[in-house]
Amino acid sequence: MKTIQNLSITVLVILLGFTQGFAQMNGQEIMEAVYNNPSGENIQGQLEMRLINKQGDTRVRELQQFIKDEGEVEKTIMFFLSPADVRNTSFMNWSYNDGRDDDQWIYLPALKRVKRISSDSKSDNFMGSDFTYDDLGDRHPSDDTHKLLGEEVFNGYDCYIVESIPKDKDYMYSKTVTWVIKENFIGIKRDFYDEDGDLLKILQIKKFEKISGYWVILNTQMHNVQKDHRTEMIFSEVKLDQPIPSNKFTERSMTLGR
Amino acid sequence: MKNQINTKKLKLYSWLVILITLAISAWFAWELAGNARMETDLDEYMPKDHPAFVYSDMAEDWFNIKDGILIAIENPEGIYNPGTLNKIKDITKALQDMETIEDADVTSLYTADNIVSSEYGLDVKAFYKRTPKSEEELTELRELVIANDMVQGRIVSDDETVALVVASITDSVFSMQFYEDILAFADSYEGPENIYVAGVPIVEGTMAYLGPKDMKKMVPIVIVVIILVLYFVLRSIRHTISTLAVVLISTIWAFGLMAVLGISIYAVTIMIPVMLIAIGVADGIHLYSHLQLFLDEHPGATVKEVISDMIHNMWKPVVMTSVTTAVGFISLLTSEVLPIKYFGLFTAFGVLMAMILSLVFIPAFGFVFGISRKKKKQQAKAEKHSFTERLANNFALATIRHKVFVISATVILLGVSIFGIQKVWINSSFLENFERDSNIVLTDAFVNKHFGGTSSINVILESEDKDAMIRPEVEKLIDEMQTEVETLALVGNSFSISDYIRRMNQVMHADDPAFDVIPDSQEMIAQYLLLYEMSGDPENIWKVVDYDYRKANVTIQLKSDNSKDINQAIEILEKYRAPFSELQVEMNYAGSGYKALVFTDLILTGQIKSLLLSIVIIIILLALMFRKVSIGFIGAIPVVLTAAISFGVMGLFNISLSTTTALVSSIAIGIGIDYAVHFIERYKIYALQTRDKGLTIRETMHHSGRAIAFNAFVVIMGFLVLLFSVFPPNRSLGALVSFNMFISFIATVTIMYLVLYKSNIFFKNKK
Repeated sequence: MKTIQNLSITVLVILLGFTQGFAQMNGQEIMEAVYNNPSGENIQGQLEMRLINKQGDTRVRELQQFIKDEGEVEKTIMFFLSPADVRNTSFMNWSYNDGRDDDQWIYLPALKRVKRISSDSKSDNFMGSDFTYDDLGDRHPSDDTHKLLGEEVFNGYDCYIVESIPKDKDYMYSKTVTWVIKENFIGIKRDFYDEDGDLLKILQIKKFEKISGYWVILNTQMHNVQKDHRTEMIFSEVKLDQPIPSNKFTERSMTLGR
Repeated sequence: MKNQINTKKLKLYSWLVILITLAISAWFAWELAGNARMETDLDEYMPKDHPAFVYSDMAEDWFNIKDGILIAIENPEGIYNPGTLNKIKDITKALQDMETIEDADVTSLYTADNIVSSEYGLDVKAFYKRTPKSEEELTELRELVIANDMVQGRIVSDDETVALVVASITDSVFSMQFYEDILAFADSYEGPENIYVAGVPIVEGTMAYLGPKDMKKMVPIVIVVIILVLYFVLRSIRHTISTLAVVLISTIWAFGLMAVLGISIYAVTIMIPVMLIAIGVADGIHLYSHLQLFLDEHPGATVKEVISDMIHNMWKPVVMTSVTTAVGFISLLTSEVLPIKYFGLFTAFGVLMAMILSLVFIPAFGFVFGISRKKKKQQAKAEKHSFTERLANNFALATIRHKVFVISATVILLGVSIFGIQKVWINSSFLENFERDSNIVLTDAFVNKHFGGTSSINVILESEDKDAMIRPEVEKLIDEMQTEVETLALVGNSFSISDYIRRMNQVMHADDPAFDVIPDSQEMIAQYLLLYEMSGDPENIWKVVDYDYRKANVTIQLKSDNSKDINQAIEILEKYRAPFSELQVEMNYAGSGYKALVFTDLILTGQIKSLLLSIVIIIILLALMFRKVSIGFIGAIPVVLTAAISFGVMGLFNISLSTTTALVSSIAIGIGIDYAVHFIERYKIYALQTRDKGLTIRETMHHSGRAIAFNAFVVIMGFLVLLFSVFPPNRSLGALVSFNMFISFIATVTIMYLVLYKSNIFFKNKK
């Protein structure tokens, strides 16, 4: 299960893909191309998370994060920069490729102790945002049945529209529909439908750039239309493929701050 | 010849009057049938711009405060078995699937977050997803619930036989259809578990529908009884029909006008026909009573002579009584509550229409259909005549002879009433409108016995400062306030942000009960909340605190919606206003329970204000009409006595003031003034005619006293029918209207008459 590894910068790894041939592709092929879009191995940068409720109240959190892919396990560590009363709180996630549940730790500076935490499922929201852990992970294309619905120009990009229906009937979404940019296989928009088939959330990529040869999403927004709650994630100072020492991802490192 | 033409013309005009009246009525009735709109959303009754309501509505929006429908699932064997747990899950999911209910608004053991300490540290998870089957799983679940006091005693009863599913709905969702659906829904899950449905929306809904429904059933019976008694008194089918027609037509006009103007029918609107029936029959009775007496004296008079004498003698008191009554009702426009304003306005309109109809329709009816003359022989009539006359004479004389008794009785009654008035209390309880053994009351008691309470008020804390609500000193004060208010027997539970913090503090310290307290550091609290958000469903926390921790919502659950009880809780909460204020935290209230409290208070203070205002207006009007200041005060005697004794009795017998019972006091004005004016006008006429005080009182008592007695008798009999209503508020309405009629009648013919007699008014100048 890959989840936290992909948390943020990689959020959109799912949605990235490298350019394929010109032949007419089917839904399955398009989603595979998106999945196979390369992302860097070591990622670091700053994340600003803006949570906006229906009254328009906004809460802002700033984090510094590091992600390292060690093959069998992908490790993420994040340090809170603000708000002030949670500064230096850190969160670490180890995600295993063999299907084991993720390990998660949190360090609360006020308690001066690292605690393990566990969450019930991938359908839990990440840090009170509108993203579930699963939304942040890169869901394997073989988990869904894909169908090319058509093509459309969206935000000035020529896009494929692909509908994906999970093979697992109990999955939290009954279907998703993704707008994929033809030229670079970046998923630029995705609609999520709930168990009853009603539109639940809309994901939109507001800004993406090519950094160190990888397509990187810099601004993305998830809008839960049923609750009218939004989460905006803004990435900055993104660095890819720069070595991060393994001991960055330890309980001790969590207590030291970034 | 000329006379005949005149009579013919008269008949033609009379037909015209009747036809026009009927045509207008038909039009209004048609409008009414097409446009009438019943308003059942209680929020629509409340003045939107009143600060308490504006604030409460805002707070309800901030924290998603809604009224909960409580579905209790009882299994006497205990709930920890696969069947019952599955039922809890099924009911929860079925409610979440309803279009009118949002998923997050359903709370049960199935949806609750369980904050527990695990071998790792902290864990927030569901109590169960798949229904546990094995003995170990069931035992494990049971132990989890027992260990979590955010759940035990709140959604699972302490004796483990009852579990709650709470569905919060907005007021606008509630409709008769919804009400029936939800009851049918609950019913379909019955067996082997017992299913109960309670909660504020259910009680309000039952109230809003049961009251008018019962009235619809009872009013026709009231009318039938009034017809019978009217006939018994007037001894004429024609007179009975025309008297009643005036009442019914004026009611149709009042309602028709509301429909034409697009004003919805509110629950208090059903009081309009009640008022119009009680007040409207007076005109007809007095007219026909006068006509009867004239006929007794002039048996050979023509229809035209009889009717013109009737109108000539009676138009003045009819106009005076109606105008004063109408002005009395118009004083209700000072009320802040819209439906009450409409009630006052349209009752006044109805009263004036009844006046016009009495003076136009009744004569027209007489010309067309003729008048009833006594068919019995002169002899028998004379005898009967002399009997009522003798009774009136004796009564008039006895009253004067026993003046000391009358005066002291009045003073004592007034004294006792004033004592009683001080004990009058206001009750906004909806539940107490139902029978003690009714299903709704029993269910409520059942749920209250096992859980925190079916009613609630919300304390809203607010500060200018960001993060104010996570400051330890604020959290501790909230906790302290909750602890103190929970010492009241009627407060079952309270819930706030501090419950979360205490729970997490304990869990983060290896479940050590010593840490079931608010920590001393704000960082700690902030980090707990962050942890909670990362571990669980953050949605739940926004019901107790807002986004930037500027505001908090403390829910106090009450086992009663009785105003005395709510005020008792508020009294304790108020003690914390000053300490909170020292921390720059402002305290306010919100929620439907609190709004009901404020609303009832508004109705009652408005009612009492307008009652006092209308008494002043009546005194002035009477003084102007009779051109004597003293008459103003004498004429107000029945009104004041009726109102005072009516409130006094309520205080002494512990009958609480509610919306309905308070409005009945308006009837004291309408009726008291009618009796007084008719009596004084007659007294004045005879005084000027005879200049003999003895003769004047006898004649007045015989003429006016008789009509007043008839009037009181008819309405009392009619309204006593309401005592058989199945809806307690309608029963007290019937009893109070009858009682008010009786007091008005007695006060008019005893003490007011005595004061009038002793004052020598209308005789002084002539001497």
